[in-house]
Amino acid sequence: MKALFLLQWQRLRREPVLFFAMVLMTILFVAVVGGFGSISSIKVPTVIDDSVSESKKEFWLERLNETDGYSFEEMEELEAREKIAMGNKPFALLVMENNYQIWMLSESPELTMLEQVVRQVYMNENRLATVESVVDDDQFRSQVENRLSEPALSVTTEMVDNDNAAPTYNHQIQTLFGMTLFFSIYTIIFSLSKIAEEKRTGTMNRIILSPVKKWQVYFGHVSYSFVLGILQIILIVLLFKYLFNFDVGESTGALLVIIASFTFSVVAIGMLLLGFTKTQEQLNSVVPIVSVSMAMIGGAFWPIEAVSNQFILAASKVNPITYAMDALKGVSMYEQGLGELLEPIAIIVLIGVLCMGVGVNLIERRS
Amino acid sequence: MLETTDLRKVFKSTVAVDEVNLYLNKGESVGLLGPNGAGKSTTISMISSLSMPTSGDVKWNGESVVKNPNVIRNVLGVVPQEIAVYEELTALENLKFFGKIYGLKGETLDQKVEDALKIVGLEEKQKELVKNYSGGMKRRINIAVALLHEPEIIIMDEPTVGIDPQSRNYILEMVRQLNEEKGMTVLYTSHYMEEVERLCDRIYIMDHGKVIATGTQEELTSILSSEESILIELDRPYPNLVKALSGLEEVLQVVEHDKGIKLIVTKGSRLLGKVFQIAEQEDAQIAGINVQVPTLEDVFLHLTGRKLRD
Repeated sequence: MKALFLLQWQRLRREPVLFFAMVLMTILFVAVVGGFGSISSIKVPTVIDDSVSESKKEFWLERLNETDGYSFEEMEELEAREKIAMGNKPFALLVMENNYQIWMLSESPELTMLEQVVRQVYMNENRLATVESVVDDDQFRSQVENRLSEPALSVTTEMVDNDNAAPTYNHQIQTLFGMTLFFSIYTIIFSLSKIAEEKRTGTMNRIILSPVKKWQVYFGHVSYSFVLGILQIILIVLLFKYLFNFDVGESTGALLVIIASFTFSVVAIGMLLLGFTKTQEQLNSVVPIVSVSMAMIGGAFWPIEAVSNQFILAASKVNPITYAMDALKGVSMYEQGLGELLEPIAIIVLIGVLCMGVGVNLIERRS
Repeated sequence: MLETTDLRKVFKSTVAVDEVNLYLNKGESVGLLGPNGAGKSTTISMISSLSMPTSGDVKWNGESVVKNPNVIRNVLGVVPQEIAVYEELTALENLKFFGKIYGLKGETLDQKVEDALKIVGLEEKQKELVKNYSGGMKRRINIAVALLHEPEIIIMDEPTVGIDPQSRNYILEMVRQLNEEKGMTVLYTSHYMEEVERLCDRIYIMDHGKVIATGTQEELTSILSSEESILIELDRPYPNLVKALSGLEEVLQVVEHDKGIKLIVTKGSRLLGKVFQIAEQEDAQIAGINVQVPTLEDVFLHLTGRKLRD
């Protein structure tokens, strides 16, 4: 069994292209879709209405850009509308003297957050302007800023029930975990396809004729794919945490447990696919279909909260990615601990156990 | 030592192996001869315990291999038709891996690997990747893996397919040495009758899943003791000549091959004069003529009406 496990690493050492290609693809996709560091703020095309005077134009842009997570860039109305119509931008902001409008393509968590941010900026400014008109003091705004930087009283708000907490959605984290899980499916199942390859080349028969037990043969392959999958996910998470300062949360132990349970379930799904397919070629053609579908349905490409289709939502309930994303975001965005994540983790493991049982049975029947 | 009784394998509605009975004594070299699709590979797959027979049994020293595959697995070496090694690894890495799964380790493993490499003549190339090997070298490492644990019996499924004559000679000589000098029992399948003639003490001829003849080479060729074959070399095909020769009373069978025609005729029939006469009538150019004693190829032709490599 140890010899079989080590053999797979020896083979990987000789042909590492697929593994490194998947790592590289993950990095590229997270960089492009999620963005690195400060580049990650969401750019909002901002149209300034004719009602806003030239002197006030800079003022509003400055106020808006003081907020975190969004970058407001001035743009002509026609250009902004065109960008939305072409799907290049999901939304744009129209700044008016005492009001604003948000033009949007569709509902999204980013849009909700944008509405909150802009409303807050306008409310603050209106309050200040109202008071300023009454006190008639040139130093009023600077005095307010000074007081705000050194408040007399600090208030900390804590939510007892996390479910009611305001979601602190992080697009980078969503992309990091989504893409990492998605590409790890390829690595894991393609590494398992070595079982089909061994059957085709006849090396499997040689191993079966040796004193090695059949369960040891499967265990050698499965444990290799499991460790390889975990390594890939951990490597990418560490890379983005330490090199690009992605905030993946403090609970490393919880992250590890989630990653391990997810990897196990993908290995099991791989075994199930091996059981259903007759040849390595068939398996290789099924893997992209399965992995993309799983990622789409499970919320790896976009937050599952943005999906309203009942069929997709029902399908997501039997998809380990749904629960893995839920748990990983729980750790990193909402600071949940292992105790709060037991349910999704248990479901992931259950899916894994079921798929593994059926998969091994099917493989055995075929042989 | 090894015996099959009424061995039968059915795939859906196809009978791949039909009531095959054969035996091998210790130290014997036995050939399983037959064309592609005759059922040779399915038979050896059941003998080696890789597939279960639909009915019948395989016994090793009286113990059923069907009931307990382990009785044969530890003493068996199998050389499959395909190159069943990891081509992205070196020969040495392959042998070490297969040695380890047979429980070999340390100095014993190193020694066995060295011995196997020596037998197949790949000591110099042991650190090269198998994918860079020639066809003949790949066949040799395929054999080396089966020899690693020093089996009592080795089953070779067409081990010389697709290689050059020089490599084939090397492998045949190696098999002969394993049998004669190391006393290894050999079951050798092939559709090349000259290989089986050269290596095997006894021969089983298979066709359409059945054993159609068995015996030593002499016993098998004696089936045609009342016949002889005449090989006529021609400069090109002459269909009318074949037709005319087929009509002769003494001619039992006429087979066309790439260089001319082979006639199976009644022994002692004085036919050459007639052959030349008909050739002249048909304006055929005879480049050579040769009268032969029957070969296994002729026996197969006689039994099945087909050539071995049809």
